[in-house]
Amino acid sequence: MESRIKNVMASVFEVDSSQINNDTSPDTLESWDSLKHMNLILALEEEFGVEFDNDDITNMINFNLILLILKEKA
Amino acid sequence: MSTDTYSDILKLNKELGQSMSTNNRYEVAVLSNIMTTQLKEILEYYLRREGIYADVVFGDYDNIVQDSCKFKDRNCIIIVWELGNIIDGFYYKANTMEKDELEDVILKTKNEIDFVLANLKSTSLVLINKFSSLIYSYPYIRQNNLDEAARALNSYLEMRISANMILIDVDKVLAKVSIDKSIDLRFYYSSKSLYSIDYYKEYMKFVKPIFMFASGKVKKAMIFDCDNTLWKGIVGEEGLQGISMSARNTEGIVYEEVQYLALELAQKGIIIGLCSKNNPEDVDDVIKNHSDMTLKDQHILIKKVNWDDKITNLKSTARELNIRLDSFVFVDDSEFEANLVKEGLPDITVLQVPKKLFEYPKLIRENIGLFFNISNTVEDKRKIQMYKEQSQREQSKESFNSIEGYLKSLELKVSVYEDKVELIPRMSQMTQKTNQFNLTSRRYTEGDIARFLEESKYRNFTFSVNDKFGDYGVAGLVILELNELNNTAIIDSFLMSCRIIGRNIEYAFFDFLVEKLRFQNINSIEAVYIKSPKNEMAANFYENIGFGIIKTVDNTKYYNLKMENYKSKLIDYVEITDGK
Repeated sequence: MESRIKNVMASVFEVDSSQINNDTSPDTLESWDSLKHMNLILALEEEFGVEFDNDDITNMINFNLILLILKEKA
Repeated sequence: MSTDTYSDILKLNKELGQSMSTNNRYEVAVLSNIMTTQLKEILEYYLRREGIYADVVFGDYDNIVQDSCKFKDRNCIIIVWELGNIIDGFYYKANTMEKDELEDVILKTKNEIDFVLANLKSTSLVLINKFSSLIYSYPYIRQNNLDEAARALNSYLEMRISANMILIDVDKVLAKVSIDKSIDLRFYYSSKSLYSIDYYKEYMKFVKPIFMFASGKVKKAMIFDCDNTLWKGIVGEEGLQGISMSARNTEGIVYEEVQYLALELAQKGIIIGLCSKNNPEDVDDVIKNHSDMTLKDQHILIKKVNWDDKITNLKSTARELNIRLDSFVFVDDSEFEANLVKEGLPDITVLQVPKKLFEYPKLIRENIGLFFNISNTVEDKRKIQMYKEQSQREQSKESFNSIEGYLKSLELKVSVYEDKVELIPRMSQMTQKTNQFNLTSRRYTEGDIARFLEESKYRNFTFSVNDKFGDYGVAGLVILELNELNNTAIIDSFLMSCRIIGRNIEYAFFDFLVEKLRFQNINSIEAVYIKSPKNEMAANFYENIGFGIIKTVDNTKYYNLKMENYKSKLIDYVEITDGK
C-alpha cells in the first residue's frame, strides 16, 4: 500500500517517487498546492476504490496521515 | 486503454510530453465559469496518445468574456459554460425567480455569448459545451426555469455560431457516465470544481474525433469481411439460402442493422469495401441476388474476394484507391484474421465482431465518430463516384506501355479559380485533410481562408480537374502572399488532393502559376517544404523545378526561385484554363 500511495503522489506532484518520504507534506513539497491536493484525493480514490469525506480531505496533509486514513477505509 | 487511472494518466502524459517534438504543439485554452483542473492532463493525454502534442492552459475562473479575447490565437478554445453558475448560485435560485428576473439572467448571458463569439470568430477551432440543466433538474417532472434557461441559451447559440465553432451536447456524455458518477459536489462547495474524472475521460472520448479531424487524421474507409461479418453464416458452405441478414431471423437482424450502418456511412461518402477469403462468384451472387442485402453493388466500392492473405489485399486496396492505410477501419469476425491485420498493419483500426453478437451494432456505432467530418461539402457526396472512376483509371493504366502514353490518353483538363468565395468550405477542408502532396501541411478553418480572400496581399488559387473518365472536383490549392515592394511571391500553402496525384498536374499547374506571376511583375518566389510524417512524396518538388535551397532548419527547407531559373517540365497533355 505504501508504495502505491507513493506512486500516486509522485504522479500527481510530478516528482520522482524516491522524493516522497514519510514526512512529505505541503511544507516540504512545493508543488503540493490546493489544486494538486484535489487531484491527489481524486487519484487516491480511484486507485484504492474508496471515497473520502470532507474531514478526511482536510486531514490528509502528509504521507503518514494519508496512510493512516487509507488503512481505516481498507 | 480507457481503463487508465487518473494517476496513470498524469504519469504517462508527462512521459509522452517529454518524448514529443516541441515545435508542433497544439495549443488549447479552456475557458470556464467553474474549475475544470483535471481536464488538462486528461485532454492532453488522450490527444498525445494519438500523436497530437496538445498543451492545455486555463483562463481565469469565471472570466470567459475577457479571456475569449486574450486566448483567441490558440489552435483551439473549449468553452465550459456551466448553466448552474451563470450567476452565483443560479442552479438553486433559478426556480424561485419571477419570469422577468429569469429573462434578465438569460439576456445577460446572451450578451456575454455575443462578445465571446465575436472574439472567437477567427480562432481555428472552438468547442462550446451546450448549456445543460440535466444534472440539476432531472428529478423534476415538469419543465422548470433551469430547463427553460438551457433551452433559450442553446437555441441562441445555434443561431449565432460560425463555421469554426462546434456545439458539444454534453447531455450525451452525462448519459453515458450517469449523472451520479459525473458530479462530485464535495469539491464544488469548496473549490467550484464540479465534474468527476470519469466524466472528463468520457468527454474526451466524445470530442476526440473533432481533434483528429482538425489534425488531418481521419478515417476514410470501412472494409468488411463477409461471412459472419456482413451476414450470418458461411456462403461457401451453406449456400445463398443458408445465410441470413434480415429481421426475420434472430441473428440475421443484427447483420441487417450493421448493413444499414454501413449504408449510412456510404451515403456520407465513406468508402465501403470487402476483403474476404471466398470464391468471388459466391459473394457476387449474394450481393446481386440475395433479396435481403441492404448493401448493393453501387455502395461497395472495392471488392477483394479471393484466397490471398488479408494484409496483401488491404495493401492493394489502399494502393488502388490511393488512400493511406491509417485511414482504414477493418471489420472481421475471426480473431485470427483480426490479430493478423492488427500485427501486420498496425496503422489500421481493426474491429472484431464481438462474441456476444448483440453487441456488434453497438461496436460499429461507437466507432462512427472516427469518420467525423466538420463540414459536409458537395465533394463528400460525389466521392463514391470519384473513387469508382479512380479504379477504372487504374485498370486502364495497365493497357498502356508508358505512363506518358496513358496520361496523354486521359485528356486531362484543369480549371483554375481565384478568390472564389463559394469554395471557402472546400479550401478549408482540403487544408485539413490533405497529407501527402502538401508542402507545408498548414491547417486552416473556413474563417482563416475567408481572411486570406479578404486581404489583398494574398492570392488564392484553387483548381478542379477532369478527364475523359469523369470529374475529380476541386482538388488543388495554392495560397500566395505577395510582397510588392520587392516583387516577391511567398507560397504559404500548396497542396493537391491524393486523387489527382501521379498525373504531373502539379508541374503543369506551376507553369500556369509562374506565367500569371510574371504578368504581375513578380521576379522571385519564396517557398518552404515542411516535412511531416506523411508528405515525403513532395520533398523534392521545388528542387525539380529549379528552386534553390537557401537553408534547412530542423524539418523545414527554405527555397528561393529567380523567375529566370524556372525549369518547366513541359507537360503538354494537361490543358489548363481560367475557370468561370
